[in-house]
Amino acid sequence: MKVEALTWLVLFLPLLAAGIITLFTLRNKAVSATLSIGAIVTGFVLTLAVIKFGGWDARELSVNWLSIGSLNVDFGLKLDALSLMMLLIVTGVGSAIHIYSYGYMRDDPGFSRFFACMSLFTFSMLGIVLANNFLQMFIFWELVGVSSYLLIGFWFEKPSAADAAKKAFITNRLGDLGFILGILIIFTALGSLNFTVLESGNSIAALGGMATLGGLLVFCGAIGKSAQFPLHVWLPDAMEGPTPVSALIHAATMVAAGVYMLCRVFFIFTPDALTVISWIGGITALLAALIAVQQNDIKRILAYSTLSQLGYMVMGVGLTAPEAGMFHLTTHAFFKALLFLGAGSVIIALHHEQDIWKMGGLRKKMPVTFWTFMVGTLALAGVWPLSGFFSKDAILAAAHENNLLLFILGVAVAALTTFYMFRLVFVAFLGDRRTGVAPVSDSKEAAQAGDESMRQARRLSYEPHESPGVVIWPLRILAVASVVGGVIGIEALFGGMFKPDAAHPHGLLAQLVYPFQHAPVAALSGLAAFAVGLFAAWKLYANAKTDPLPDKLGALSRAMANRFYFDEIYEATVIRIHDAIAAIADWIDRWIIEGFCIGLVRGGTDLTGRALRLVQTGNLQTYAFLFVLGVAVVLWFVLGK
Amino acid sequence: MNVGLEHYLVVSALLFALGLLGVITRRNLLVLYMSLELMLNSANLALVSFSRFNDNLNGQVMVFFIITVAAAEVAVGLALIVALYRKRQTAHVEDLTSMKL
Amino acid sequence: MNVSYLELLKLAAPETIVVLTALAALVVDLTSTRDLEARFRFIINGMIACAGCVAAIVWMLVMPAHANALEGMFVVDPLTQVVKIALLGLTLFTVLISMDSTFTEHIGEYLALILLAAVGMMFLVSAEDILMIFISLELTSLSLYILAAFNKRDVNSAEAALKYFLFGGMAAAFTLFGLSLLYGLSGATNLGQIAAALEDKGLDPLLIVAMVMIVLGFGFKVAAVPFHLWAPDAYQGAPTPSAAFIASGSKVASFFIFAKVMMIGFTGGETNGVHEIAGSAAWQQFVSGWTPVVAVVAVLSMLLGNLVAIVQSSVKRLIAYSAIAHAGYMLIGVMAHSGEAVASLVYYAVTYGLTTIGAFGVVAVVEARSKDDQLASFAGLSRRAPVVSLCMMIFMLSLAGIPPLAGFFGKFYVFAAALKTGAPNLGLLWLVILAIAMSAVSFYYYLQVLKQIYVADMPAGAEELRVPVLGQVVLGLIAVGVILLGCAPNLLVGVLQASIKAAGL
Repeated sequence: MKVEALTWLVLFLPLLAAGIITLFTLRNKAVSATLSIGAIVTGFVLTLAVIKFGGWDARELSVNWLSIGSLNVDFGLKLDALSLMMLLIVTGVGSAIHIYSYGYMRDDPGFSRFFACMSLFTFSMLGIVLANNFLQMFIFWELVGVSSYLLIGFWFEKPSAADAAKKAFITNRLGDLGFILGILIIFTALGSLNFTVLESGNSIAALGGMATLGGLLVFCGAIGKSAQFPLHVWLPDAMEGPTPVSALIHAATMVAAGVYMLCRVFFIFTPDALTVISWIGGITALLAALIAVQQNDIKRILAYSTLSQLGYMVMGVGLTAPEAGMFHLTTHAFFKALLFLGAGSVIIALHHEQDIWKMGGLRKKMPVTFWTFMVGTLALAGVWPLSGFFSKDAILAAAHENNLLLFILGVAVAALTTFYMFRLVFVAFLGDRRTGVAPVSDSKEAAQAGDESMRQARRLSYEPHESPGVVIWPLRILAVASVVGGVIGIEALFGGMFKPDAAHPHGLLAQLVYPFQHAPVAALSGLAAFAVGLFAAWKLYANAKTDPLPDKLGALSRAMANRFYFDEIYEATVIRIHDAIAAIADWIDRWIIEGFCIGLVRGGTDLTGRALRLVQTGNLQTYAFLFVLGVAVVLWFVLGK
Repeated sequence: MNVGLEHYLVVSALLFALGLLGVITRRNLLVLYMSLELMLNSANLALVSFSRFNDNLNGQVMVFFIITVAAAEVAVGLALIVALYRKRQTAHVEDLTSMKL
Repeated sequence: MNVSYLELLKLAAPETIVVLTALAALVVDLTSTRDLEARFRFIINGMIACAGCVAAIVWMLVMPAHANALEGMFVVDPLTQVVKIALLGLTLFTVLISMDSTFTEHIGEYLALILLAAVGMMFLVSAEDILMIFISLELTSLSLYILAAFNKRDVNSAEAALKYFLFGGMAAAFTLFGLSLLYGLSGATNLGQIAAALEDKGLDPLLIVAMVMIVLGFGFKVAAVPFHLWAPDAYQGAPTPSAAFIASGSKVASFFIFAKVMMIGFTGGETNGVHEIAGSAAWQQFVSGWTPVVAVVAVLSMLLGNLVAIVQSSVKRLIAYSAIAHAGYMLIGVMAHSGEAVASLVYYAVTYGLTTIGAFGVVAVVEARSKDDQLASFAGLSRRAPVVSLCMMIFMLSLAGIPPLAGFFGKFYVFAAALKTGAPNLGLLWLVILAIAMSAVSFYYYLQVLKQIYVADMPAGAEELRVPVLGQVVLGLIAVGVILLGCAPNLLVGVLQASIKAAGL
């Protein structure tokens, strides 16, 4: 038996776990968690084994699934650098998140159900990654939709969670509509759905005039799943799910599926289609970054940040640099999962408080969480030599090469990214505890503590503390990955796959300096953007309060005697414009996209339904009359031609 | 005057239309049934005349079967009316509107 | 023409078996089980009916036949065998889900009528002669009318049946008139001969009138807009198992014969006993005659069915409107008129029928306890009857076309076959786009049902629903079938493909 056959195990173990949990062990928490965690960790180990003994070369395993006339579809696994790396991310980051969930969800009554859903989700996600044809990918694509629906709506007693789940599902279906149509067009025109066959068959030429349309329709699927403009509205709401779900779905895996799919079928996109893709990505990145600046909920900031980074990746793909997009996807999976889990750690420590203005001073109380969160922030902001720097630079370099306008946009987004992330860090972790206490009113305990004096006592005695080991160990692991992710050869791996002719850096040192040699403008702009963003955030948020920071930097702050003056300039210009733009962006988001488009669709169908219902009067002779009318119309239609 | 196929067909079409008109306009369920029968019989007339002019017997054979089927249909229909009448004491179509939306 | 009656009986053995079973159920119920409790009577006679269906299925599996008796009056080939087996399977499930019901004391008659309706469908599937088609259509319809009226305690049941009957009678008259015109134009009653005779006649207006009338007759049977108006009332008023049978078995048979008439009767040309589907100039001409009719009907069905379903508050009506929409999707398969399209159509119809029976089965369970089928009665069902709720979720998601359930693959297959036929100019593309868009809309109301089941709060004072073990097992089996046919469609599609090839379509 060849070592590749192990991949089948990787794929089906989570399904098995989900099945067993649903059928047998719903009452036994420990067994459920062990099964679920065991399945994914085993998957990770097996993936490592496949790579170790089988290498990164492209190969395929398949069994015939459907062979009916011209429709011949395999159920297959496509293994190459792209899917194997993605497999590592999903199982690796997934493992960390599963373990973390064990601590996070400990007291939840739906503990076993949660792990069953997580395993189902993992199975579907792995299916997308391994699919070797469009139909199989679409099936798992929808399964991911279903399982994310279950996870986002996990706390379905909360109406907001139920609504968010439904919104996520329906918005995704909207994108999938285009996707399946694109698949049908490709299938009709080319007669095959297999990626390898399509890729070798020069599909753009074979599609002819339909090529751009087909590609864009397929891209619709990615718009939905990767939450790109204008279907991005579901992602921030989806934060209603438990935090590990946010980390799993919205950082590492599900939203990455869209980008992954774009890279997988990169060969079907025409230059026109790619231009559209890159602009959609760019717009998403900018819009989301602007909105993130205005958010106060810690998970929402991260959600918009995810959106913005996904926009980056899509832009990278659109700029004919899928390797850069995938590179960023990989590093992003590390540091965004880290950030989400860090946020989760904060949230449980504060008894489900998510407003950053009610936090503050957490650095001392939760040192591990703080430092790992800091690493994630720096990586996201793109600080050399953390992973985010290299992947972001790859995209900026591609933009610099192909489209100057998008390059400027990208740099601006990079500055914004640093700005909102450090705002979060300054407000939530540094400084004093803002209100002195985390209000207990939001937490579940408060409902039980009806007595005001009890609540008072609780508030006084309340102290945030560091999370248990099962929560912080995943943080540590992910932090390490976030630091070194940029220099362990991922770029060369993807580069070797998509652009085998170009030179790619090998060796630690070469990788460390590669951005500066290869595209110095992009690299330096990225660093400059970081500096600008950091400076602005520091100016506005670190010094605005009388927290310990000014005391420590007393001399420095006095030396900046005219800081008041600076603040006013900021106030008058940057902040105002910023606020206005962010408000407009938010307004567009809320009213035009969500209110108008989705509202119109919903209201329209409702209205038509009511109008058509008038026909169904219950009176038989009305029916008979309509029947005859129908006959007459059909006859007229056919004979009249 | 020479009576040709088209004459039969016109009569048959008229009968069909009359039956249809009856189904749409009459109120009493029994009359509705008769109108339905009229429609079936107009088809029978067409079949017989086609059979004559096509010079084969297939059409006439069909007519015999259709007459039988029509009889069965009436039996079922009358049973339904009786069932309804027991519950509602009515045989009028306007009263059949308890389900709508 | 020499026909050995023994041979004929052997060919029609499955039908004969089912007829005998119907009589047996009738006799047994009237004589030996008369005095037992209704529940036991249902179980005993239901088992007899099931045994009959199984015997007929086994007969067809063991004795494959391929013959054309009495010049197309009764055609047996692998394809019709497969469809008949599927029909008997649906009948079997209908009998099983009705075993728990209490709406009638006339159990023998009820089961006999279900079986007779099944016989009608089986003959319909085998018919290639307009006389046979008409008679078996009527046999099916008459049995179904009575089945719809079977709940004598409910006023709505009689009303539903009457509407169904009057509407059906009208549609039958239209079909008959159309068939008589067809006979008049061609001088034959056999579909193949009709096609051959029409080939050199061209497309005269009378033929178009005939086509339209026949299409709308079938349009009535499959509940396509604008001939659908009976369906919501009939589904709502009829006893739930009857409605399930009307929605599933009758639909499968009607769609099959619809496609057959359209393909053999109007496509012109039967050379050397092999039906030529495409290619000839005459074919193009005839296609241009009936395709637009079907296209208009399909579009209207998809639009109206899905949009009106959104505002329904009765689950049975909701399923009725969704059935109208599904008829629209299936009509796309009829239009594609290729061997592959027939396979996809049968696959779709069979899986749809299975799913619908399951959904009605769940409705029956809820209805039996809460006395109505309003959406509100489903509130919190997941906590009152988890297994049944899970089954309902699978049925609803399958109807909505979510992979990997059977509903998804059916849609994919039909649409792919339709696009394939239209290739390279993608003639049916717009229809397919509309169908996909509307199936996304449909998702909204299916989710509405699931939301009631899983999210809404239980009504105060509701307790756990005690669902009989048999009912749970049957629903579970159907759900497994839906998943299995979705994950491994080859099980059915492979058989269909092989039999279509063998049948020479």
